[in-house]
Amino acid sequence: MKIKLLFLTLTLLFSFGCNQNAINSNFGAASGNNAVKKRIGVSLLTREDDFYRELEAGLQEAARQNNFELIIQSGDKDLSKQQSQIDNFLVQKVDAIILCPTDTKGIAPAIERANAANVPVFTADIAAGGGKVVSHVASDNTAGGRLAAEYIVKAINSEGIVGIIGQPEVQSVVDRETGFKEVISKNSKITLVPTLNGGGVRDRALKAADDLIQGNPNLKAIFCINDETALGALSSAEARGKNDLIIVGYDAAPEAVAAIKRGSALRADVAQQPRDIGLKAIDAVAKHFRGDKVEAKVSVPVKIVDAETAR
Amino acid sequence: MNQSIRQKLSGFVIFGAIVAESIVFSVLAPQFASIENLVNVALSIAVIGILAVGMTFIILTGGIDLSIGSVAALAGVVAALVTQHTEIASLGFAAALGIGLASGAFNGVIVAYFRVPSFVVTLAVLTIARGLAFIFSGGRSIGNLPENFGRLGKFVFLGIPFSVWLMILTFAFGWFLLRHTTFGRYVYAVGGNAEAAFLAGVKTKAVVFQVYVLNGFLVGLAAIVLASRLGAGVPNSGLQYELDVIAAVVVGGTSLSSGRGSVVSTLFGAIFIGILNNGLNLIGVDTYVQKIILGVVILLAVLADRFNRPH
Repeated sequence: MKIKLLFLTLTLLFSFGCNQNAINSNFGAASGNNAVKKRIGVSLLTREDDFYRELEAGLQEAARQNNFELIIQSGDKDLSKQQSQIDNFLVQKVDAIILCPTDTKGIAPAIERANAANVPVFTADIAAGGGKVVSHVASDNTAGGRLAAEYIVKAINSEGIVGIIGQPEVQSVVDRETGFKEVISKNSKITLVPTLNGGGVRDRALKAADDLIQGNPNLKAIFCINDETALGALSSAEARGKNDLIIVGYDAAPEAVAAIKRGSALRADVAQQPRDIGLKAIDAVAKHFRGDKVEAKVSVPVKIVDAETAR
Repeated sequence: MNQSIRQKLSGFVIFGAIVAESIVFSVLAPQFASIENLVNVALSIAVIGILAVGMTFIILTGGIDLSIGSVAALAGVVAALVTQHTEIASLGFAAALGIGLASGAFNGVIVAYFRVPSFVVTLAVLTIARGLAFIFSGGRSIGNLPENFGRLGKFVFLGIPFSVWLMILTFAFGWFLLRHTTFGRYVYAVGGNAEAAFLAGVKTKAVVFQVYVLNGFLVGLAAIVLASRLGAGVPNSGLQYELDVIAAVVVGGTSLSSGRGSVVSTLFGAIFIGILNNGLNLIGVDTYVQKIILGVVILLAVLADRFNRPH
C-alpha cells in the first residue's frame, strides 16, 4: 500500500516536472529573439583541474554572448560515462555537442551515433579518432612540444641525455611528445632515452622519474607532458638533491608556476590558453549555426613560461 | 607437516624467481645491480609494501579491501589541508592516521558485525573516499606546503630513505603480530575455518574488526609516506593501488581462499614486482608490454598456488 502511494507520488511529481519543463521551454521560445535558444551539450574530460575550469569559463562566457544554453557535464575521464552522456544529449535533442574526449579512439562510435542523428559534433582540447567532427579546437600541442624541446636544447647547450615522462593513452599528449622528439632528433649530440609512462598523475610520475634518474646518471633534462607529472618528477629530483636537472612541464598550473618562480629544478612550462580554447569552440559552433564555413582545425597558440616571464 | 613443507616450497619458488629476474636484469641493464638502484627499488615499493602488510591480514581472514588507494588519497589530502591551516606537519600526519583508522573501523564494523561481504563494503568506501578527497581538495592538488611536510619524504638514515625504514618496521611488526601473538593465531584460525574457530571460543567478529582497524592504521601510515614524498595532498593519487597491493600479496603466495600465507611471502611478492617494474623500465620495455608481463606473472602465481593446495 505504502509502496503504491510512494509510486503514485513519484509519478505525479515526475509528470509535474515534465510539464514544468514544457512551460519553461515554451516561455523560452516566446521570449527569445524569434528562435528557440540553441542548446549545446558539453561533455568535458573532467572538471577537476584548473585547465578545465578555465576552459569551462571560456565556454560559458562565449555562450552568454551568443545566447546559447549550455548543458555541461563531466566525463570524469571515463569513456563509458562520456558515451552515455552523448546518448543523453541525443535524447534531449541538443543543437550541437562539444566534446573533450576521454579516449581518442574509443569515443568514435558515440560520435557516429550523433552523426546519424544529424547533431553536429565539435571537439575541444582533445581530438577524436573517428566519426565526423565539424571542427577541432585545441592548443597546437605539437608546437608546444617543439617549444619545450627548444627550451631544453638551449639550456643544455645541445648536448646530453634527455628523457620524457609521458602518457601514451592520450592523443594531445602524444602530439606534445611528437613535437618534442621532432626538435630533439635534429640535435645529433642529444640522446633521447625511451619514454616512461607516468599516467599523467603525480605519484606514478614520481616513480617513473625515480627510474629515469636512476637508470641514467648523466641525465640532463626531463620533458613532462603535464604539470602533475612535472611536480612528481620535481619531488624525485629534490629528494635526490638534483637541482641541476632541468625539468620542463606543460600547462603552467599555479603550483608549477610557484615552483618555477622559486628557482627549483622545474625551470619552465609550456602554457596553454584554455580560456581561449573555450571561447573559440563556441565561436566555431556559432559560425556553424550561421551557416558560415568553419575550419576543420582551429589552433590556439601556446607560450613558454620560465622564471623571467612568470614574474 | 606436509602443509608446512609445501609452504616452504612456495616461499622457495618466489625467492628463486627474484634471484632469476635479478640475474636477467643485471645482464640487460648495467645500472640495475648497484646499491643505489636497490635503494631505488625499495623506495618504489615502500608505499605498496606498507599497504600489503595490512592486506595480508585481511586476505588471511578471507576478506579483501578495495578502498585502500582512495582512502590513502583522502588521508593525504586531509593531511595537506590540516598542515596548510596549522603550519604543523605532525598535526596533518596525525589527521591522516585518524582518517585511516576511522575508515578501517567503518569497514570493520560493517564486515564483521553486519556480515556484508568485504568486497562490497570496501568498493563503496572506495568511491566515497575518492569523492571526499576531490571535494575537500576542490579537485586540485594541495601543494606549496610548509617545508616540514616534505621533510619526512626526503629524510635519509644510514643511506636508506625514511619510507623504506618505515616499510621494514611495518613488515617486522606484521611478522611478529602474525607469528608470535595469540591475535596472529586467531587470524589464521578465522581464515582457515571461521566456524571451527568460533566453536573453539575465538571471538571471530572481534578478530575481523581488529584486522580492519589495523589495516586502516597502515593505510594512514602509507598515506603519510606518499603525501610527504609528493610534498602535496593529491586527490588523484593512489589510483589502483588496491590492485598493485593484491598482486604483491598473491604473487607472494598468500591464498585468496584464505588461511594460508604470511607477511614474509608478501614481502617477497612486493620485492619481486618492484624489481620487475624497475628492471623493465631500466631496459626501456614499452609500458603496454609491461602491463601484459605483470598480468602473466600474477596468473602464474595463482596457478602455482593451485598446485600447492594440500588436497
